[in-house]
Amino acid sequence: MLSIKNLHASIEDNEILKGLDFEVKPGEVHAIMGPNGAGKSTLGYVLSGRTEYEVTEGKVEFEERDLLGLEIDERARAGLFLAFQYPVEIPGVSNMEFLKESVNAQRKERGEDQLTAAEFLKKAKTACAQVNLPLEFLKRGVNEGFSGGEKKRNEIMQMIMLEPKLCILDESDSGLDIDALKVVADGVNSQRDGKRSFIVITHYQRLLDFIKPDYVHILADGKIVKSGGPELAKEVEASGYAWLEDHEEANA
Amino acid sequence: MSQWLANVIDRADSVNDWLSPARQEALTRLKETSWPTRRTEAWRYTSLHALENSTFTGSTAGVTAEAPVITGLNSIDLIFIDGKPTTDIKALTLPAGVTISPLTTTDTAMQERANKVFNQVKPGEHLFGMVNDALAQQGVFIDVAEGARIEQPIRIVNLVSDGVESHHRVLVNLGAKAQVTIIEHGAGHGHSMNTAFAEYVLGTEAKLEHYRFALHGQDAIHIGGSHFKMGESSRLNSTIVGYGSQISRIDTDVVHAAEHAIAKMNCVYLLAPKEHFDLHSLIEHAKPNGTTEQNARGIVGDKARAVFSGRILIQPNAQKTLAELHNRNLLLSRGAQISTTPALEIYADDVQCAHGATIAEIADEDLYYLQTRGIKRSQALIMLNFGFIQELVGQMPNKALAAWLEPLLRERFAMMEPQ
Repeated sequence: MLSIKNLHASIEDNEILKGLDFEVKPGEVHAIMGPNGAGKSTLGYVLSGRTEYEVTEGKVEFEERDLLGLEIDERARAGLFLAFQYPVEIPGVSNMEFLKESVNAQRKERGEDQLTAAEFLKKAKTACAQVNLPLEFLKRGVNEGFSGGEKKRNEIMQMIMLEPKLCILDESDSGLDIDALKVVADGVNSQRDGKRSFIVITHYQRLLDFIKPDYVHILADGKIVKSGGPELAKEVEASGYAWLEDHEEANA
Repeated sequence: MSQWLANVIDRADSVNDWLSPARQEALTRLKETSWPTRRTEAWRYTSLHALENSTFTGSTAGVTAEAPVITGLNSIDLIFIDGKPTTDIKALTLPAGVTISPLTTTDTAMQERANKVFNQVKPGEHLFGMVNDALAQQGVFIDVAEGARIEQPIRIVNLVSDGVESHHRVLVNLGAKAQVTIIEHGAGHGHSMNTAFAEYVLGTEAKLEHYRFALHGQDAIHIGGSHFKMGESSRLNSTIVGYGSQISRIDTDVVHAAEHAIAKMNCVYLLAPKEHFDLHSLIEHAKPNGTTEQNARGIVGDKARAVFSGRILIQPNAQKTLAELHNRNLLLSRGAQISTTPALEIYADDVQCAHGATIAEIADEDLYYLQTRGIKRSQALIMLNFGFIQELVGQMPNKALAAWLEPLLRERFAMMEPQ
């Protein structure tokens, strides 16, 4: 589904990703862990097409298409979804208008009919209920005045509505208490159907107790330095990221 | 000397009604006032050239304007077309606590009450205010009794047809603890000329929800103002929405004449190509502990021009004043223009004030966010541009009005957006 080869990316001439290789097959859940500044969020931004980031080398294929050649919105319509760590607030655009536009843009791409107002509302109701957001939130501006937890749940709600093929969750656990974390994890787990894939970016192992990954990768200094099964996350939990320094010295 | 003004003065001499003493006084001042030029500060960015020597000969036969219907508003409508009432005001069934009299009333008790509002709030030196003082024989006086809470909004519709000149006045008195919603709804077709001034006196703890819609056509000339005098602990929530016209100028002034009053004022303008809109505002804090929050936002299309002049004046004893004034503008093309001058004039030392004016740009981050959900860049730009003013429309307390206005503005905006 997703194949990343030797990906290098910079922002303002600062190289952040330094030759990243990574493969995701349909239905798989990959966790990406790593210390602050390793390039975890950058990976999400680069895959989504954020223009401030420049890809200087490498190839990314998504569903057999050259992902890097697509516009931001084309990537989304191709089935890529990024749940943001810090979603923006857009007061003048209502959640309702925003969601309708997004859902219908995706449906159009897939050759499906636009949802009627009633169909849309029904779907939105279910999605809101799933992440514990009151329906009134739809009338408010996009993320306007939402708490940190509400913003994260709103991201998951959008994910449920948009039915993407590949979901990238960028620290969807940060700043959440245990109850909110469970809501987010339940929302994600409800979307696991054996075909949809996930990349779960996180600093802490905690989220992975609730979203069980198939693979865990450690990202450090712009590269994947270690890959393994769920047990790797436990190791990190026990020993932290300090061992990475030894690893880098050994590599040097 | 302007031909048009000379003609006004001629006509004013023959106006004779119960307001004549006040009219004559204004006329005297008017005669001493010279026609504004580009060097006149209040008209620096708004040219009156189009009016200077104009004559308006009257309505073309057969054209009858109709008052726009607003679904779900359930308002008491007072309709004036070309300066003449088409509503029989005396025949209206009104809620207890409110009296509405036409300016032509012969009831001396009402005249006496109206006289306590007429020219008591509006600043004296506005040229077109004086014209209105002298000529506005039509309009209404609305008196809300102490403690009366009027649920039903009162809408004053003022329509002007092509070729017509009309002058309209609204006077409103809110007794202590009275509550009311008043909508000044103006629209004009073709090349018309209209002055419309409204004066509001708010009693102690009175609450006024106010709207002014200046939805005149591109060839119209509309000049007017909404002026408020705040009583102790009174509340004002005002929203002004303007299209541009050949000349469109609105003055909105607030005087905090007593302590602890709160005025929240929003203004939205959406100017299609070549239109002109000028918003002038003076907020005076004459007493301590007052609060003012003013937000004016506009989208300016190609070759259109917006003028904003906002001044907050805090008098020496008006300590503990909280005042904010913001003007934000979105220019849709290189040919669009905004002249903005926000100003704070503070003579008290213990106040909190902020002001600012910006030419806004759509944040890349917002655009990116919408695109990551599959929305095309062009569509995302439209949503964000419109969202810029929709935010203030969404703050209108009356949801029926907001629901009526939003699609109108969207439609207008869709025509303006460069493809």
